[in-house]
Amino acid sequence: MLVQQLVNGFVLGATYALFALGFTMMFGVLGVINLTYGVYFALGAFAALWASKAIGLSVWLALPFGAAVAGCIAVLVDTLLLTRLRRAKAPELSSLMVTIGATLFLYTGLSVIYGTEVRRFAADFAPSAAFEIAGVRVVATQALIVVAALLMAAALIWIVRGTKVGLAVRGVAENPDAAALMGVNGALITHLVSFMSGALGGAAGVLIGLNFNAIQPFMGENMMLRGFAVIIIGGLGDLRGALIAGFLLGIIEVLTAGYFASAAKDLIAFALLVLTLWIRPVGLFGRAAAKRA
Amino acid sequence: MRIALVGVFAAALIGVAAAQETKQPIKLGAIEVLTGPNNRYGIPCQRAFDLAIEEINKAGGVLGGRPLAIAYEDSAGNKDQAMNAARKLIGRDKVALILGPTLSNEMFAVGPVVNERKIPIIGTSTTANGITAIGPWVFRTAMPESDVIPVTLKTAKEKLGVKKVVVMYANDDAFTKSAYDVMKETLAKLGVETLTTETFSDKDTDFTAQLTKAKNLNPDAIVVSAHVDSGSGIILQGRQLGIAKSVRFIGGNGFNSPKLAEIAGEAADGTLVGSPWFLTKNDEVNQKFVKAYKNKYGEDPDQFAAQAYDTMYLIARAISAAGSTEPEKLKDALQKAKNVGVMGPFSFTEGRDPADASGVVILEMQGGKFRIFGETS
Amino acid sequence: MLDELSDLYWTYQNIIHGIAVNGILGLSVYVVLSIGQLALGQAAFMGIGAYFGAIATTKLGLPFPIAILASVLTPAAVALAIGAPTLRLTGVYLAISMLGLGEISRLLLLNWEYAGGALGLSGIPERGDVFLLYGVLIVLIIALIFISRSRIGRAMEAMREDETAAGVMGVNVPRYKLATLVVSAMLAGLAGCLSAHLSSFIGPNEYGFEEATTILSFALLGGIGTPLGPVAGAAILTLLPEVLRFLADYRLMINGAIIVIAVLFMPRGLLSWRMRRTV
Repeated sequence: MLVQQLVNGFVLGATYALFALGFTMMFGVLGVINLTYGVYFALGAFAALWASKAIGLSVWLALPFGAAVAGCIAVLVDTLLLTRLRRAKAPELSSLMVTIGATLFLYTGLSVIYGTEVRRFAADFAPSAAFEIAGVRVVATQALIVVAALLMAAALIWIVRGTKVGLAVRGVAENPDAAALMGVNGALITHLVSFMSGALGGAAGVLIGLNFNAIQPFMGENMMLRGFAVIIIGGLGDLRGALIAGFLLGIIEVLTAGYFASAAKDLIAFALLVLTLWIRPVGLFGRAAAKRA
Repeated sequence: MRIALVGVFAAALIGVAAAQETKQPIKLGAIEVLTGPNNRYGIPCQRAFDLAIEEINKAGGVLGGRPLAIAYEDSAGNKDQAMNAARKLIGRDKVALILGPTLSNEMFAVGPVVNERKIPIIGTSTTANGITAIGPWVFRTAMPESDVIPVTLKTAKEKLGVKKVVVMYANDDAFTKSAYDVMKETLAKLGVETLTTETFSDKDTDFTAQLTKAKNLNPDAIVVSAHVDSGSGIILQGRQLGIAKSVRFIGGNGFNSPKLAEIAGEAADGTLVGSPWFLTKNDEVNQKFVKAYKNKYGEDPDQFAAQAYDTMYLIARAISAAGSTEPEKLKDALQKAKNVGVMGPFSFTEGRDPADASGVVILEMQGGKFRIFGETS
Repeated sequence: MLDELSDLYWTYQNIIHGIAVNGILGLSVYVVLSIGQLALGQAAFMGIGAYFGAIATTKLGLPFPIAILASVLTPAAVALAIGAPTLRLTGVYLAISMLGLGEISRLLLLNWEYAGGALGLSGIPERGDVFLLYGVLIVLIIALIFISRSRIGRAMEAMREDETAAGVMGVNVPRYKLATLVVSAMLAGLAGCLSAHLSSFIGPNEYGFEEATTILSFALLGGIGTPLGPVAGAAILTLLPEVLRFLADYRLMINGAIIVIAVLFMPRGLLSWRMRRTV
């Protein structure tokens, strides 16, 4: 049973990691608590669902479609709402407030269009093969999530560390003014990061919606609080951290539920979050961030 | 002569005015969750009320031709808004009685307010314990879990020989927790062993940890108290993890929804649910209702709609029996009211709960649809 | 005529109460925001206050004043307990830590069978009335206005502007932080107790993340230049769902849109014109 539980934890962890990648990027680079991230998560899933039904896209196409839609809306929200506030050097709290309002607007809009009941992708949408190895069962979609999480993290890390664009992103994250002085087009980078995080959120939504067969407008809300835990434990803005913390949290949660008490499963995530903040706020891989005004 | 004409004219006017008076609609109020994540419980109630009122009014209304009218207030699942709604319906709209609210939590807040003002309030969808204990003006037509679940579990023990089970329930929702309490008590009374009790959050999507543990303990069945979202997820993941088909899932009222098959597909085959009503119940009253509902709204009715529909007819009878909408008389009439509706015969106990549980049937999911357990199609 | 007036009042009584309760919550968040701390624990403290106050009257049969005391002291004790490690954090980290603690509090209440668990606590006796609520609110507003004009107020403003500089200038920063957290917790607890005794039922899910952000919106909408700001914000956001009722399905969407527009065009809140005293 232990091996099966570890596998369960690994898969759950992959979902957390997947969600956290875009979240930590948005948080770490743009420096704002953007509560709309949960909406991008749901939007990606709904966009892919629509595409699979209306234009019959297969899973391999619907996934990037969903991600792209979410990414575009993220850029839209950022342009319409957050850029104004950034330019007016409004207090950080205003950005938070605006995302609260935007989130309310978008979630409700989604539920007005689609209704609040849960839905799923068609049963034959994704490969449904199940494997059994040495008494441990894994379903294809679960394997898909794990692979996707690892691949996306790897791709992102390569982009951020190994390319010029990534350098620019890190520069803007560290010090937007200095980066501007160095010729970096801050606005463009911000849009790029918004798009990427939104797209990551959307992709996570598609995959997680696929694996759990639970697509409903408020699906992002529930992930958000866990998302906070993961990105704090991993370190704000650190992709490696989000990946590792995600997997770690998934495994810990499953083992707690399986061997200790299932009632403690939720508690453990937040207990770890608070303990991390009390003992080592920068998390596993974070560096002490420069004070943001 | 002219005086006589004026007299006749005046009499006619007064007659017409009086006739208008008596044709005044009888105002009822309803508080339902019409927006927000729980509106899938409130909207069927609203639809069923409207359907019933339409039919009743077409058949001549009540109290000599007075039509029923209903004012809806949306609580959006928010306790404060439900309370505001109640006060508006009573204080401003002066309704004769209130239907709803949709959720038990809301009823606990709204009930005392309405009870204090001595207006009848009838919960058609609130199944938690203690609702009618709020006060003598609080009625409940929703069949509580404490009437349905014992029948389900008894059937499982007697017809399927279930001796040991794993119990899983959502511990952060009043409805599922309440149903679990009934399950726990019933299992103890029946002498069925509970191998382990696992919990999860109503909004969870991953149950693999609990299910793996359950699988390893080799239960005869898994008893689940959850809403259909998490319930269908549990069933699906359970089968994915390799829990054999012979290990059935047995659910509380949350499973009683076509969504179960929609989400869980084949995995849901063999699931058992107790229900005070089901879609294909083959009597005339029910079939007429199902057809009318489907015609009007394009969808099959669900249990919430059925209960709401019956309640409205019950109210019509009570008003007729009371001969007025005066609260004291209405309350007494309700207490004594009887109706044979789509759910079967109905009357209230002294405690204002449903008295008749004979209509409860055990349903089994097969091939995407519920049918009566034990009946071959 | 008197009947009609009394009916009118009865109809809107809950909203009238709600504005006062939310006003007190707005003040509770004002207190921490005015020294620049984004401590989002108000909903959790409110919950703790509501529960302990309700348990006092409902389960232990104690008189209402004792319940109020319990609802004020318990959150204060919790604030003291978590204050030391938590207040070392700043900005976003502080905010998230309070959210995390809030969730822990909610989960603990959920599993606390004595207090009803998921089923909540019902049958809470009706205590307190509009005079008590508004009396408390007004006293608090006046007290806070006085404080903001005193030395303490200036120290707090200094901390809000630049914490390090304030420390250098002799302000005992850690002590102020803890004090404001405790006061904020007490206010939120009080609001919780008052609200619980006017709605006869409380449940653990009423004091979660969503409520925390709602309470924050009171202050953000109204501005934190003066204690009246969050109260005004609370009044508006309490009335908004009622006023917008006719929009039915679209109500929450419009609610969100209004918040967005309000913040975009008034990023410092509605009453911000009071904020700057010329230096």
